[in-house]
Amino acid sequence: MDNQELREALGDAITGAPTPLDAADRLCTACVQLLDVDGASISYMGDGTMQGTFGSSGHLSRTLDELQFTYGQGPCMDAVTQRRPVLAPHLDGHVEDRWPALTEALLGRGIHAIFALPVAVASTPIGALDLYRRSSGPLDDSAMTGGVYAARLAALPLLDLMNADTDWQSASEGRGSWEQLESLERVEVYQATGMIIAALDVSPADALIRLRAHAITRGFSASDVAYQILNRRLVLDRDDWHEVGDDDGRGT
Amino acid sequence: MSKREDDIVAAFVSMSGSLARGLDVNELLTQLAADCARLIDVSAVGLLLADPRGALHVVAASSERVADLEAFQAQRAQGPCHTCYLDGQPVNVPDLAAAAARWPDFAAVAAKAGVVSVHAVPMRLRDATIGALNLFGATTGPLNEADLRLAQALADVATVALIQDRAASDTHIVNEQLQKALDSRVVLEQAKGVLAFSGDLDMPDAFAALRYYARDHNIKLTELASALVQRAVPAAVVLGHARTRGA
Repeated sequence: MDNQELREALGDAITGAPTPLDAADRLCTACVQLLDVDGASISYMGDGTMQGTFGSSGHLSRTLDELQFTYGQGPCMDAVTQRRPVLAPHLDGHVEDRWPALTEALLGRGIHAIFALPVAVASTPIGALDLYRRSSGPLDDSAMTGGVYAARLAALPLLDLMNADTDWQSASEGRGSWEQLESLERVEVYQATGMIIAALDVSPADALIRLRAHAITRGFSASDVAYQILNRRLVLDRDDWHEVGDDDGRGT
Repeated sequence: MSKREDDIVAAFVSMSGSLARGLDVNELLTQLAADCARLIDVSAVGLLLADPRGALHVVAASSERVADLEAFQAQRAQGPCHTCYLDGQPVNVPDLAAAAARWPDFAAVAAKAGVVSVHAVPMRLRDATIGALNLFGATTGPLNEADLRLAQALADVATVALIQDRAASDTHIVNEQLQKALDSRVVLEQAKGVLAFSGDLDMPDAFAALRYYARDHNIKLTELASALVQRAVPAAVVLGHARTRGA
């Protein structure tokens, strides 16, 4: 399977899922099928602390993810705080001394390698995708590439979970996941996100959620909404965004 | 030496000084894009880097005009800059209208920005291409040999600036550094948005305010941008400083 096929297979896995949690589970299951690993889980981190397991390929993976929460240490936390992949291909080797308690618990469950890839929204890390393997040794290039793809895709259901108001059904209809993701990675979207940060005094990740939710509920693209904001055609009230010239619109 | 040669030497001297002082990579690349646009007499210059998926992102530009940025980023997966990145070879489009059929989506966005000619030179690191330096012209016609060489030299300096931290023997580390540069561009755009909203400014003025404050307080541009979007530094402080500078 080449990179393009891998990318499409991962994108297909989350397209059409009925809820964000289902989408996350499906993405994890696809990782196990496509990336030569035995388990996968996605954890959500808020304010630098692990908030919980958000998706998994199965019961064991969920348990493994929760172990990191229990011990308060692990590659998933490190991946988020260091904003880079944290790879532990040899949990059974004596050079591995980063998370002693967790390492022992993982080995006790037959896991010999763990790879954590950060999940970021608007460059703010909000979680991590963990890949588990029973055999030790590094991920091969194809699995690593697939893992990076999957970690990027994982941002979409996470965004929706954080913003419970989003209509997941309409969010996943019509447009592919990659397209949705790419529409969030544009200069105008970043600039508009900054304007929302200033207008509503919220974090960058929250600002992007607001922008995306507004786009989804009105049937616009993220880029459309970004231009409305940049051109001051959309008034960013705390509870109600309205276009300039709306009945209750007072303009800027 | 001619005036132009003087300018070129001055640009390289200032760049190597910045490199040695460990200046913020984003500031340095922005400076480089501005120097390049001035020395080669094109309307806008952008530096585009590839992410691990091979999609191109604008990491620095000589122009803060939204139309220009839009035209640079329209080449995420299609356009002369993307072709240059894929082939690792310079791409010269002296008359974009005549080549519109090859990149229809890009040609439409570029036309809106007033771009009529496009040139791209690769940013190469040994045998890999990590991105491209993209030049937009407001007049048709090819670049002469000297300008092309100059553009390639500037692209090489940009590559060195990006990978300066280590002897980058490891693709993993190279990818991390590129990702860092891309992330800091995101934060920079967000910070411009914060200032634009708070001070009711357009994006070029917002960027100017950001740079004034960073320079006068000897803070790295990316650090200041990050503090603004995390709301650790109030926008009013940065805006107030810009006003005292008469900006």
